[in-house]
Amino acid sequence: MMDPYLVKDAPLPYCKGCGHGLVLRAFGEALEKLQLPPAEVAVVTDIGCVGLADALFATPHTVHTTHGRSTAFATGLALADSVLGAARLKPVVMIGDGGAMIGINHLVNAALLNADVTVLVHNNFMFGMTGGQNSAFSPLEFVTATTPAGNAVPPLDLAQVLVASRASFVARKITSDHDLTDVIARAIAHPGFAMVEILELCTGFATKWNPLTGAQLKQVAEKAGYALGVLREERRPTFGDGYKERGKEARREGNKENGAGPRFAAGTEVAQRLVMAGTAGERVQTAAMLLGQAAMLCGLHVTQKNDYPVTQGTGFSISEVILSPEEILFTGIEEPDAVLVVSADGARELERTGMLARVAEETLVLADTDIHLPELRCTIQRFAFRSATGPKTAALAAVAQWLDMTGALPMDALWTAIEERFPKEMESTRASLGKILQTT
Amino acid sequence: MMSTTQTGIQHERTARRQLVSGNRLVALGAVAAGCRFFSGYPITPSSEIYQAMMEELPRPENAGLALAAPDEISALTYCVGASMAGYKAMTATSGPGWCLMIETLQYGLMTETPVVVAVVQRLGPSTGGATQGAQGDVLLTQFCTSGGYTIPVFAPSNARECYELTQAAFWWSERLRTPVVLLSDKEVGMTLESIDVASFERRPVPERAAFSGIGRYVPYACEQLEEPPPFAPVGGAAKVVATGSAHDRDGKLRKNSPEVIELLVHLQAKIAAHAGDMAIFEMDLQEKAETLVMSYGTTARAAREAVNHLRAAGRKVSFLKLMTLFPIAAEAIEQAAEGCRRVVVAEENLTGLYASAVQTLLRDREMLRVNGIGNQISPLQIIEAMERAR
Ligand SMILES: Cc1ncc(C[n+]2csc(CCOP(=O)(O)OP(=O)(O)O)c2C)c(N)n1
Ligand code: SF4
Repeated sequence: MMDPYLVKDAPLPYCKGCGHGLVLRAFGEALEKLQLPPAEVAVVTDIGCVGLADALFATPHTVHTTHGRSTAFATGLALADSVLGAARLKPVVMIGDGGAMIGINHLVNAALLNADVTVLVHNNFMFGMTGGQNSAFSPLEFVTATTPAGNAVPPLDLAQVLVASRASFVARKITSDHDLTDVIARAIAHPGFAMVEILELCTGFATKWNPLTGAQLKQVAEKAGYALGVLREERRPTFGDGYKERGKEARREGNKENGAGPRFAAGTEVAQRLVMAGTAGERVQTAAMLLGQAAMLCGLHVTQKNDYPVTQGTGFSISEVILSPEEILFTGIEEPDAVLVVSADGARELERTGMLARVAEETLVLADTDIHLPELRCTIQRFAFRSATGPKTAALAAVAQWLDMTGALPMDALWTAIEERFPKEMESTRASLGKILQTT
Repeated sequence: MMSTTQTGIQHERTARRQLVSGNRLVALGAVAAGCRFFSGYPITPSSEIYQAMMEELPRPENAGLALAAPDEISALTYCVGASMAGYKAMTATSGPGWCLMIETLQYGLMTETPVVVAVVQRLGPSTGGATQGAQGDVLLTQFCTSGGYTIPVFAPSNARECYELTQAAFWWSERLRTPVVLLSDKEVGMTLESIDVASFERRPVPERAAFSGIGRYVPYACEQLEEPPPFAPVGGAAKVVATGSAHDRDGKLRKNSPEVIELLVHLQAKIAAHAGDMAIFEMDLQEKAETLVMSYGTTARAAREAVNHLRAAGRKVSFLKLMTLFPIAAEAIEQAAEGCRRVVVAEENLTGLYASAVQTLLRDREMLRVNGIGNQISPLQIIEAMERAR
């Protein structure tokens, strides 16, 4: 014989006649009926009178949590155990109607995930512990501390919300139901998410202010349009089952990204700070990355900072690249060594941020033929990047042009970087870039 | 342990480098530390950590679980649940998501549940600027608890430190059974840097000190106030009683008995007692320096560059980069400031948040705050501010 799950003859911490005591008794009986090893049961309690139950459990684990979050803690426990552990843990949540509403997204998501969690919603139609205020579950006309003239907002049908959330077990019961224990036991035994909402009385407040007895709970349900009984019971894979299944196919080898050891000698002996400006979706960042890759092939340190508007995929795209024989400290660019402008979007953004005003006499500015740029401290060198190579290669063309003019890195480093990254596009890219390089 | 005063930056040119972001290295650092559970919610500039963990954790060699949460409250709460079951857990977010996590973070603190939260800062307040960097959450992460309990906060300034400090965050989180924040920022998190990842040291974090299994398990039995109680997982043989309410050693709710108060004092004492060991910093002092330049996170790089310039111009300047922001590395700061007339604190926020936290340590020294929002603070800005104040 196992020790009883509940502390024997413990005085209940509730008002006399409080429905919480009846649910607790049924829950205890359900555990006795199932005879689960107590170490595999975790009672996760919410805040409120309902959350005073921890001390009443003799053998299962108890976790007393924060208001409304109990289901999420239980979900974390269940998911971790089901995927990383022995997949035996049964978290059972005890939560009030107040907690169920403030934490409703946790119930919805646990249901969607089909986490192996059982939630017992103690619905006494109001907040008990804080003094009888109305909740989202208060029936119409219900008198509470905060609806003295009667509640005017219709009550939530949580069971329906959870059915819509694809919960695999949903039931609504009344404390006086003779099969309450059995339904709770079924819910706990159910593999996956289970919710049992139990309609009950708060004798501390609800029955004082409303003509309500245990016998009338059924009418309350009827008036609210609440269906009673087990409303959904179906088998579908739990999150844990699904995760393990999917993992079998999807688990890939660790990433084997190509590192770049120095294979070429850099032409530059000092840091080079480049700003590349173009339009999102036109592979500005890819061009910057290839330049960085080429620099790493020459043993240089590299940083690359990308900037784009809040909505990714439209407007400007800016990359700031620093190539340096020394460790790179500050990653911003106060005075650029080169500015490559390949679209009007990019030009506007550089003007807006003040980058163009920071261009020095020695700065190399390479810009596409038709782009408007303000008067700068240096001369602007124009190239037909876009028309010669196409908008999506323009940024890379500008990079190649800059390398060609400065010799900062050998051209072969860039070709190698392109070949390693995009072997299939190597030939066509090289041909494309050749059109620009020949024009100089 | 990795409590060092040097970051060991390597200058050799033969390394096989790749372009990697700080965010990705937070994920790799977490995996290296033995993180088994991650739950995330997308938010720029931290989303890449979430994506990388979704990629990394399910690999057979990592044997972990990563999943999407419906919101940031759930994300951290799932992590705390998983940690209670005995698995190292982490989530990642930015300012707006961090605000939602504070309730559960306090629960982690109170229940002595290890968990790591990577906060990648962006410009606030409110949704602020999603793609704009900032260092504005320094005090929001630190003073997020009722009572002002010290949450260990580690702040990387580059991609390599993202890896190392994420491991440090796990180490201390497990060691002291406490939530720990890894405070990164948009520039550190999203900038790609050439890094030889293969050379990184994988330092698996030891398991938290476990209950011996002998006798009755007392969940909050700390014999010394400076040490965490032995751990037993929910789901294990020993019955666990966990609670976020004020409790005695048995985990029973108590109002304000001396034992309850003692356990609240313990939550702070266990952090304070290890403050010295937790201090990670890089100190580069110059003899007879009259000025100390101090910084952290992305701005520490600009500060270092400013110091290099000033020294090249013949000025005597000491430098201190803090990688542990909290508990405050008081000894290091006092040592670095010794003999200095002025302390410069550079950080990318409006009023000098960290400066205000360390001001009392510096007593009668003049403090020069170099601050700003909307742009990275540049070396020039720091130098100019120092010149103006001369
Ligand atoms: C975030 C938060 N908000 C409010 C409270 C205050 N509070 C304590 S108990 C409670 C009401 C709980 O009502 P219910 O969930 O219906 O449980 P009952 O007391 O009826 O059992 C509230 C709002 C809290 N603890 N935390
Ligand atoms: S106030 Fe209501 S819910 Fe709380 S113990 Fe009393 S009867 Fe039960």
